[in-house]
Amino acid sequence: MPGDCHYLEGNVNAKRRVAAAQSLLKDIGLEPERIAMFNLSSAMANQFVEVAKEMTERITELGPNPLRISQKESEL
Amino acid sequence: MIVAEQKSLEEIKNLVGHAEKVLVLGCGTCVTVCFAGGSREAAIVAAELRMTSKLDGAPKDVTDATVQRQCEWEYLDEVADQVGQVDVVLSLGCGVGVQAIAEHFPNSWVVPGLNTKFFGLPTEQGVWEERCAGCGECILGLTGGVCPIARCSKSLLNGPCGGSLDGHCEINDDVPCGWQLIYDRLNSQGRLEVLMDIQSPKSWRTARDGGPRKIVREDLRLGHQDH
Repeated sequence: MPGDCHYLEGNVNAKRRVAAAQSLLKDIGLEPERIAMFNLSSAMANQFVEVAKEMTERITELGPNPLRISQKESEL
Repeated sequence: MIVAEQKSLEEIKNLVGHAEKVLVLGCGTCVTVCFAGGSREAAIVAAELRMTSKLDGAPKDVTDATVQRQCEWEYLDEVADQVGQVDVVLSLGCGVGVQAIAEHFPNSWVVPGLNTKFFGLPTEQGVWEERCAGCGECILGLTGGVCPIARCSKSLLNGPCGGSLDGHCEINDDVPCGWQLIYDRLNSQGRLEVLMDIQSPKSWRTARDGGPRKIVREDLRLGHQDH
Protein backbone atom coordinates (compact mmCIF):
# COMPACT_ATOMS: atom_id res chain seq x y z
CA MET A 1 0.00 0.00 0.00
CA PRO A 2 1.22 3.56 -0.61
CA GLY A 3 3.92 4.44 1.90
CA ASP A 4 3.81 0.94 3.37
CA CYS A 5 6.44 -0.65 1.18
CA HIS A 6 9.15 -3.25 1.78
CA TYR A 7 11.45 -0.49 0.50
CA LEU A 8 9.92 2.05 2.91
CA GLU A 9 8.76 4.94 0.67
CA GLY A 10 9.79 3.11 -2.50
CA ASN A 11 6.28 2.75 -3.89
CA VAL A 12 5.54 6.45 -3.31
CA ASN A 13 8.68 7.31 -5.31
CA ALA A 14 7.75 4.72 -7.93
CA LYS A 15 4.34 6.35 -8.39
CA ARG A 16 6.04 9.61 -9.39
CA ARG A 17 8.36 7.81 -11.80
CA VAL A 18 5.47 5.93 -13.41
CA ALA A 19 3.69 9.27 -13.93
CA ALA A 20 6.87 10.61 -15.59
CA ALA A 21 7.07 7.51 -17.83
CA GLN A 22 3.41 7.98 -18.82
CA SER A 23 4.16 11.59 -19.69
CA LEU A 24 7.10 10.48 -21.86
CA LEU A 25 4.90 8.01 -23.73
CA LYS A 26 2.26 10.68 -24.32
CA ASP A 27 4.87 13.13 -25.67
CA ILE A 28 6.22 10.48 -28.00
CA GLY A 29 2.74 9.74 -29.34
CA LEU A 30 1.97 6.46 -27.59
CA GLU A 31 -0.92 5.79 -25.22
CA PRO A 32 0.16 6.54 -21.62
CA GLU A 33 -2.23 3.82 -20.40
CA ARG A 34 0.28 1.24 -21.66
CA ILE A 35 2.06 1.64 -18.35
CA ALA A 36 0.31 1.64 -15.00
CA MET A 37 1.02 1.08 -11.35
CA PHE A 38 -1.18 -0.78 -8.90
CA ASN A 39 -0.58 -1.07 -5.16
CA LEU A 40 -0.91 -4.61 -3.86
CA SER A 41 0.49 -6.55 -0.95
CA SER A 42 1.79 -10.11 -1.25
CA ALA A 43 -1.38 -11.29 0.49
CA MET A 44 -3.74 -9.91 -2.18
CA ALA A 45 -3.79 -12.73 -4.71
CA ASN A 46 -7.37 -12.13 -5.84
CA GLN A 47 -6.78 -8.46 -6.42
CA PHE A 48 -3.61 -9.32 -8.35
CA VAL A 49 -5.65 -11.49 -10.70
CA GLU A 50 -8.16 -8.66 -11.19
CA VAL A 51 -5.40 -6.17 -11.95
CA ALA A 52 -3.71 -8.58 -14.37
CA LYS A 53 -7.03 -9.09 -16.17
CA GLU A 54 -7.70 -5.36 -16.29
CA MET A 55 -4.27 -4.63 -17.73
CA THR A 56 -4.54 -7.44 -20.28
CA GLU A 57 -7.94 -6.18 -21.46
CA ARG A 58 -6.63 -2.64 -21.67
CA ILE A 59 -3.57 -3.63 -23.71
CA THR A 60 -5.62 -5.89 -25.98
CA GLU A 61 -7.99 -3.01 -26.69
CA LEU A 62 -5.11 -0.64 -27.40
CA GLY A 63 -3.56 -3.17 -29.78
CA PRO A 64 0.07 -3.91 -30.51
CA ASN A 65 2.74 -1.28 -30.04
CA PRO A 66 2.63 0.70 -33.33
CA LEU A 67 6.41 1.07 -33.25
CA ARG A 68 6.80 -2.70 -33.38
CA ILE A 69 4.29 -2.94 -36.22
CA SER A 70 6.22 -0.42 -38.30
CA GLN A 71 9.44 -2.27 -37.44
CA LYS A 72 7.97 -5.53 -38.73
CA GLU A 73 6.70 -3.81 -41.88
CA SER A 74 10.15 -2.38 -42.55
CA GLU A 75 11.67 -5.84 -42.11
CA LEU A 76 9.33 -7.36 -44.73
CA MET B 1 26.24 24.45 -10.48
CA ILE B 2 24.51 25.69 -13.59
CA VAL B 3 20.92 24.45 -13.36
CA ALA B 4 18.91 23.73 -16.48
CA GLU B 5 15.79 21.84 -17.51
CA GLN B 6 14.79 20.08 -20.67
CA LYS B 7 12.72 21.72 -23.33
CA SER B 8 9.50 19.92 -24.25
CA LEU B 9 9.79 17.16 -26.83
CA GLU B 10 7.49 19.18 -29.08
CA GLU B 11 9.91 22.15 -29.05
CA ILE B 12 12.88 19.85 -29.57
CA LYS B 13 11.12 18.27 -32.57
CA ASN B 14 10.53 21.72 -34.06
CA LEU B 15 14.15 22.71 -33.50
CA VAL B 16 15.46 19.54 -35.12
CA GLY B 17 13.02 20.02 -37.99
CA HIS B 18 13.51 17.81 -41.02
CA ALA B 19 17.06 16.80 -40.18
CA GLU B 20 17.45 13.07 -40.75
CA LYS B 21 20.62 12.41 -38.79
CA VAL B 22 20.67 13.77 -35.25
CA LEU B 23 23.35 13.59 -32.56
CA VAL B 24 22.02 14.17 -29.04
CA LEU B 25 25.06 15.41 -27.13
CA GLY B 26 24.99 15.31 -23.34
CA CYS B 27 27.36 17.04 -20.94
CA GLY B 28 28.96 15.26 -17.98
CA THR B 29 29.16 18.18 -15.59
CA CYS B 30 26.49 20.58 -14.23
CA VAL B 31 23.56 19.32 -16.29
CA THR B 32 24.37 15.73 -15.35
CA VAL B 33 23.98 16.41 -11.65
CA CYS B 34 20.77 18.37 -12.18
CA PHE B 35 19.41 15.47 -14.26
CA ALA B 36 18.76 17.60 -17.34
CA GLY B 37 21.44 16.68 -19.88
CA GLY B 38 23.75 13.88 -18.77
CA SER B 39 24.37 10.57 -20.53
CA ARG B 40 21.14 9.09 -19.19
CA GLU B 41 19.04 12.02 -20.37
CA ALA B 42 20.81 12.05 -23.75
CA ALA B 43 19.94 8.38 -24.25
CA ILE B 44 16.30 9.00 -23.25
CA VAL B 45 15.89 12.02 -25.55
CA ALA B 46 17.51 10.08 -28.41
CA ALA B 47 15.06 7.20 -27.86
CA GLU B 48 12.14 9.65 -27.70
CA LEU B 49 13.17 11.23 -31.00
CA ARG B 50 13.63 7.85 -32.67
CA MET B 51 10.21 6.65 -31.51
CA THR B 52 8.24 9.81 -32.21
CA SER B 53 9.80 10.32 -35.66
CA LYS B 54 8.94 6.73 -36.53
CA LEU B 55 5.34 7.28 -35.45
CA ASP B 56 5.29 10.47 -37.54
CA GLY B 57 6.27 8.39 -40.58
CA ALA B 58 9.68 10.01 -41.07
CA PRO B 59 12.11 7.99 -38.96
CA LYS B 60 15.27 9.78 -37.96
CA ASP B 61 18.70 8.28 -37.40
CA VAL B 62 19.34 9.47 -33.84
CA THR B 63 22.51 8.69 -31.89
CA ASP B 64 23.72 9.99 -28.57
CA ALA B 65 27.03 10.72 -26.90
CA THR B 66 28.19 12.55 -23.81
CA VAL B 67 31.37 14.51 -23.23
CA GLN B 68 32.86 15.40 -19.88
CA ARG B 69 32.37 19.13 -20.47
CA GLN B 70 30.79 20.73 -23.53
CA CYS B 71 32.28 24.09 -22.52
CA GLU B 72 35.89 23.14 -23.29
CA TRP B 73 37.30 22.64 -26.78
CA GLU B 74 39.41 19.57 -25.97
CA TYR B 75 36.43 17.57 -24.79
CA LEU B 76 34.52 18.49 -27.95
CA ASP B 77 37.40 17.19 -30.07
CA GLU B 78 36.45 13.70 -28.87
CA VAL B 79 33.15 13.86 -30.76
CA ALA B 80 34.36 15.75 -33.85
CA ASP B 81 33.81 12.72 -36.12
CA GLN B 82 30.28 12.14 -34.82
CA VAL B 83 29.40 15.82 -35.16
CA GLY B 84 30.64 15.78 -38.75
CA GLN B 85 28.41 12.84 -39.67
CA VAL B 86 25.04 14.32 -38.64
CA ASP B 87 22.69 16.99 -39.96
CA VAL B 88 22.11 18.57 -36.56
CA VAL B 89 23.55 18.39 -33.05
CA LEU B 90 20.96 18.62 -30.28
CA SER B 91 23.00 19.86 -27.33
CA LEU B 92 21.86 18.91 -23.85
CA GLY B 93 24.50 21.24 -22.41
CA CYS B 94 23.85 24.64 -20.91
CA GLY B 95 23.89 27.72 -23.12
CA VAL B 96 27.68 27.78 -22.85
CA GLY B 97 27.89 24.23 -24.17
CA VAL B 98 25.63 24.98 -27.14
CA GLN B 99 27.77 27.98 -28.09
CA ALA B 100 31.02 26.09 -27.56
CA ILE B 101 29.82 23.50 -30.11
CA ALA B 102 28.73 26.25 -32.49
CA GLU B 103 32.12 27.98 -32.19
CA HIS B 104 34.21 24.83 -32.38
CA PHE B 105 32.33 23.34 -35.32
CA PRO B 106 31.34 26.43 -37.33
CA ASN B 107 29.99 24.38 -40.22
CA SER B 108 27.69 22.32 -38.01
CA TRP B 109 24.12 23.10 -37.10
CA VAL B 110 23.53 23.00 -33.35
CA VAL B 111 20.28 23.53 -31.44
CA PRO B 112 19.58 23.66 -27.68
CA GLY B 113 17.67 20.90 -25.95
CA LEU B 114 17.69 22.64 -22.57
CA ASN B 115 16.65 25.94 -21.06
CA THR B 116 19.51 27.18 -18.87
CA LYS B 117 17.97 28.56 -15.70
CA PHE B 118 20.35 29.73 -12.98
CA PHE B 119 23.36 29.12 -10.71
CA GLY B 120 22.01 27.12 -7.82
CA LEU B 121 22.05 24.05 -5.66
CA PRO B 122 19.77 21.13 -4.83
CA THR B 123 17.98 21.80 -1.53
CA GLU B 124 16.50 18.29 -1.61
CA GLN B 125 16.41 15.57 -4.24
CA GLY B 126 14.50 16.92 -7.21
CA VAL B 127 14.48 20.55 -6.02
CA TRP B 128 16.98 23.21 -7.15
CA GLU B 129 17.13 26.80 -5.97
CA GLU B 130 18.98 29.86 -7.20
CA ARG B 131 21.84 31.08 -5.03
CA CYS B 132 24.12 33.23 -7.19
CA ALA B 133 23.33 35.85 -9.82
CA GLY B 134 26.88 36.10 -11.16
CA CYS B 135 26.96 39.87 -10.53
CA GLY B 136 30.75 39.96 -10.77
CA GLU B 137 31.45 41.57 -7.41
CA CYS B 138 30.67 39.28 -4.47
CA ILE B 139 29.30 40.90 -1.31
CA LEU B 140 28.53 37.73 0.61
CA GLY B 141 31.11 38.76 3.20
CA LEU B 142 28.85 41.65 4.18
CA THR B 143 25.61 39.71 4.36
CA GLY B 144 26.30 36.62 6.42
CA GLY B 145 26.79 34.41 3.38
CA VAL B 146 23.28 35.02 2.02
CA CYS B 147 23.21 36.83 -1.33
CA PRO B 148 20.84 39.80 -1.48
CA ILE B 149 21.31 40.03 -5.23
CA ALA B 150 20.12 36.49 -5.94
CA ARG B 151 17.80 35.94 -3.00
CA CYS B 152 16.06 39.30 -2.63
CA SER B 153 13.56 39.68 -5.48
CA LYS B 154 14.52 43.36 -5.77
CA SER B 155 18.25 42.79 -5.19
CA LEU B 156 18.20 45.39 -2.42
CA LEU B 157 21.43 46.16 -0.62
CA ASN B 158 20.31 47.79 2.64
CA GLY B 159 17.56 45.73 4.16
CA PRO B 160 14.14 44.48 3.12
CA CYS B 161 11.40 46.34 1.31
CA GLY B 162 7.87 46.74 2.67
CA GLY B 163 6.82 43.51 1.01
CA SER B 164 8.58 41.32 3.55
CA LEU B 165 5.92 39.60 5.67
CA ASP B 166 6.51 36.88 8.28
CA GLY B 167 9.79 36.02 6.60
CA HIS B 168 8.25 35.66 3.15
CA CYS B 169 8.68 37.73 0.01
CA GLU B 170 5.66 39.50 -1.41
CA ILE B 171 6.08 37.82 -4.77
CA ASN B 172 5.21 34.39 -3.37
CA ASP B 173 4.74 32.81 0.05
CA ASP B 174 7.08 30.02 -1.04
CA VAL B 175 9.94 32.50 -1.46
CA PRO B 176 11.76 33.42 1.75
CA CYS B 177 12.65 37.08 2.14
CA GLY B 178 16.37 37.30 1.38
CA TRP B 179 16.87 40.08 3.88
CA GLN B 180 15.05 38.15 6.61
CA LEU B 181 17.51 35.30 5.96
CA ILE B 182 20.42 37.75 6.19
CA TYR B 183 19.11 39.25 9.41
CA ASP B 184 18.43 35.84 11.01
CA ARG B 185 21.89 34.56 10.04
CA LEU B 186 23.75 37.59 11.38
CA ASN B 187 21.54 37.69 14.49
CA SER B 188 22.27 34.03 15.28
CA GLN B 189 25.97 34.80 14.96
CA GLY B 190 25.76 37.93 17.10
CA ARG B 191 27.05 40.04 14.24
CA LEU B 192 24.12 42.37 13.55
CA GLU B 193 26.47 45.36 13.71
CA VAL B 194 27.56 44.38 10.19
CA LEU B 195 24.23 45.75 8.98
CA MET B 196 25.02 49.22 10.33
CA ASP B 197 27.34 49.82 7.38
CA ILE B 198 25.24 51.40 4.65
CA GLN B 199 26.02 50.01 1.23
CA SER B 200 26.47 52.58 -1.51
CA PRO B 201 24.77 51.98 -4.84
CA LYS B 202 26.26 48.91 -6.50
CA SER B 203 28.16 49.23 -9.73
CA TRP B 204 26.42 46.92 -12.17
CA ARG B 205 29.22 47.27 -14.69
CA THR B 206 30.65 44.03 -13.35
CA ALA B 207 27.34 42.31 -14.07
CA ARG B 208 25.60 41.99 -17.43
CA ASP B 209 25.06 45.75 -17.58
CA GLY B 210 28.71 46.14 -18.56
CA GLY B 211 28.24 43.98 -21.64
CA PRO B 212 29.80 40.57 -22.31
CA ARG B 213 32.38 39.77 -19.67
CA LYS B 214 35.87 38.37 -19.98
CA ILE B 215 38.68 37.38 -17.64
CA VAL B 216 42.33 37.35 -18.71
CA ARG B 217 44.91 35.72 -16.45
CA GLU B 218 48.34 36.65 -17.76
CA ASP B 219 49.98 34.21 -15.34
CA LEU B 220 48.15 31.32 -16.98
CA ARG B 221 48.51 32.29 -20.63
CA LEU B 222 50.88 30.47 -22.97
CA GLY B 223 53.37 31.74 -25.54
CA HIS B 224 53.20 35.12 -27.24
CA GLN B 225 49.50 35.88 -27.13
CA ASP B 226 47.80 39.24 -27.13
CA HIS B 227 44.23 39.74 -26.15
